[in-house]
Amino acid sequence: MNFLQNAIDAISLGAVYALAALGIGLIFSIMRLINFAHGELIMAGGFTLYSLVGQPLLVLILAALIVTSILALGMERVAFRPLRKANPATLLIASFAVSYFVQHVVLMLYGSRAMGVPFLAELATSVEFGGLRVPRLQIVTIVVTLLLMGGLVAFFRLSRIGLQMRAAAEDFNMARLVGVKANRVIAFAFAISGVLACMVSFYLVAQTGSVSYKMGVSMVLIAFVSSVVGGMGSIAGAALGGFLVGIISVSLQAYLPVELRPYRDAFVFLIFILFLFWRPEGLLKSRADRERV
Amino acid sequence: MLSNPAFRPLQTALILIAALLVVALLATLTPPAMQRTIVEAMIKLVVVVGLFVFVGNSGVFSFGHVAFMAIGGYMSAILTLTPARKETLLDLPGFLEALQLPWPVALLVVLVTVGLLALLIGWPLCRLRGIALPMATFAVLIITYVIASNLKEVTGGRQALVGLPRYTGLWVAFGGASLAILAAALYGMTRHSLLLRCSRENEVAAAATGIDLERERLIAFVLSAMIVAAGGVLFSHFIGTITANTFYLDLTFVTLTMLVAGGMRSLTGAFVGVALVSIVSELFRGIERGFTVGDTTIAAPPGLQEIALAVILLAILVRRPAGLLGDFEIGLPRRRASCKAETLTQQG
Amino acid sequence: MLEITDLHVNYGNIVALRGISLEVAEGQIVAVIGPNGAGKSTLLLTAAGMVRPRSGSVIFAGHISGQMQPEALVAAGLSLVPEGRHIFGSLSVAENLALGATVRHDRAEIARDINRVLTMFPVLKDRYRQRSNKLSGGEQQMLAIGRAMLARPRLLLLDEPSLGLAPIVVGQVYEAIQNLRASGVTVLVVEQNASRALSVADRIYVLNSGVIAMSGTSGELKGTAAFDAAYFGVSAGAGAP
Repeated sequence: MNFLQNAIDAISLGAVYALAALGIGLIFSIMRLINFAHGELIMAGGFTLYSLVGQPLLVLILAALIVTSILALGMERVAFRPLRKANPATLLIASFAVSYFVQHVVLMLYGSRAMGVPFLAELATSVEFGGLRVPRLQIVTIVVTLLLMGGLVAFFRLSRIGLQMRAAAEDFNMARLVGVKANRVIAFAFAISGVLACMVSFYLVAQTGSVSYKMGVSMVLIAFVSSVVGGMGSIAGAALGGFLVGIISVSLQAYLPVELRPYRDAFVFLIFILFLFWRPEGLLKSRADRERV
Repeated sequence: MLSNPAFRPLQTALILIAALLVVALLATLTPPAMQRTIVEAMIKLVVVVGLFVFVGNSGVFSFGHVAFMAIGGYMSAILTLTPARKETLLDLPGFLEALQLPWPVALLVVLVTVGLLALLIGWPLCRLRGIALPMATFAVLIITYVIASNLKEVTGGRQALVGLPRYTGLWVAFGGASLAILAAALYGMTRHSLLLRCSRENEVAAAATGIDLERERLIAFVLSAMIVAAGGVLFSHFIGTITANTFYLDLTFVTLTMLVAGGMRSLTGAFVGVALVSIVSELFRGIERGFTVGDTTIAAPPGLQEIALAVILLAILVRRPAGLLGDFEIGLPRRRASCKAETLTQQG
Repeated sequence: MLEITDLHVNYGNIVALRGISLEVAEGQIVAVIGPNGAGKSTLLLTAAGMVRPRSGSVIFAGHISGQMQPEALVAAGLSLVPEGRHIFGSLSVAENLALGATVRHDRAEIARDINRVLTMFPVLKDRYRQRSNKLSGGEQQMLAIGRAMLARPRLLLLDEPSLGLAPIVVGQVYEAIQNLRASGVTVLVVEQNASRALSVADRIYVLNSGVIAMSGTSGELKGTAAFDAAYFGVSAGAGAP
């Protein structure tokens, strides 16, 4: 029973990590940018909810989606487009700068203290399934994530731009040589990453009931680890990595001795370092590479 | 002797130290607040020079060096705090609680211990290739942060350790910065540094030519961790308190900005980067504090400083990806000889 | 169709092309041959808009290549099949071909063109739904050419199409090139292996160390001592005047 409870926790947390990791993995796959500022997209979604408190739910959701997508597109246009030919390390530093910039703009506007936001409070209650108590938020998270991922898979498989994005992810220069518009696929990737980030902010705000200018940071660190574990550049890998890291986090939380639990994240990152030795290319990327040889 | 190309880094170091001396002398004429800013910049210089030893020579970014600042700072705090204070703040083993060393001895103990620790961490880490190594350093930062903010018995956890002897004044900071520059320059004159610099462009090719990349990286990693730790020690004894939050992402960002802004492949660049970022920060800090016009005080809200910093870094990355100075080093005029030219002549 | 004038290209400090001029007339097959490192690939990449020239001009059908993005040049009718083929290995043959038609929107015509490619290279038909990294080298080359054809180029640039292929497959590839010309496509092909290119080319340029060493029709070039020495191993001294 206890195990089942943990399993559900792991899946729902993994789902959130997977969404966050997808946002990072998608951008990396196309332009070799590890977008540290993805956390600030998550934060921007949260602050949109805060600013519009009291509006109907649909308005809140749409407004947050629009804000995060536009912010994502803006980051690309202003900061990352001029750096498109730079190496991954330079791009990462640039994304650091963007993250720092957005954080402090929000700090300037809203201050540094966390602020309460009532959002989807009705999901805080639990449903009973034969002795299992599952919070509604977890159920919604899992369902929404599965729907969103299904939609993404369909988009990549069936649409022209989706196919172009897959081609660009595999070989960006060759994609341009068949006529794929670089700016267009990159803009699409950023817009999608904005939407994914927004979903994560819904979860975070619903779960914690608050927003702060640093709220995206810890999530982006986990997302970053997840996408590396899954295989940087592999979209499916990012999702897999997210679930895996979610499972590891929940397991550590559940099975570590009580006095070691505060160090859970240290263990997660230690496991991450060990993983880098085992498979620096990530789980899925290296398999694809081997097939090619 | 100094005109010999092999001694070129020493030449650079001496010029930079001379410039630093001028700054220090001028600082004695300024009000205390300004002097503190200058001291802080010199401490940052220690850290950035330390970072340069690894990042500049290897071409591999490290996001984890601030962890060594934290480790240095906490160790030095434990070694120099009075036993009475340790008893109230911490829960240390008896002998550590009783131990109180004079600060230079404590600094030496810290340097040796951090050197060994860096050896232990760097030995496996330096085996990683490509982007995996910077990622692992990132993980080291996060692990250190989590431990520092939870290990109440040793670090005080989320609460600040207070009452550190505040010995880092202008001349201690000047001495620290000078020694750091000198150490970086002396390392720059070794074969190890040359081999490592030759591996920057292409790690596979470097390995193929017989460069023991892991060893060369490890040497730079250990030296650089020690210098950065010294910066952490000086910083903690400048502020007089120490908290885990200080040594996390923001400081990592600021020190990397300093390094990248000036030119990560140049010691002179590290110097210029620290100077530039410190001046800009101070200017905007002034604006945040506000100025009075008649009866009203106009002040910018907090955050402006950081925003300016981010914009400057982005502008430099876009306009001058190699930093303001690229790989230029200050020195007496000479013929240019680069790693590339040397390798080319070797190949014939 | 393509006019290159006094083209200089650098990669950082390394000079790749130093003052190249050449011309490809409509309906021709033009070959550029030269040893490894002569600058052949750079020439094509510059014409396709992937590499920016330091000076000089590349004009394709009135468009200035040096100032355009590669995707815009594809839309204007210039396609490059790069060295090493660069098919999208994780995508199926069908998807690779569909990507070839990225710049077009005439669905019915695209379907007809895909059928034409499959008739031309029947082996692709058998493997239509398979991941393309399962194809052999020759099949990949055919896929790469087929993919480029789907953009309906007026000028096709081919970088070492015979590299690493068995002689019989090279024959098939060159047959395809001649078919393309017959259907009105102008071709600029770059080869290290000269003999095959010589037999189909209307005009040949010999590139060495970033400059054009000589040019002419294959008949004109084959007689000259320097050319034979360089490409057929005949001693230069024997036939020299």
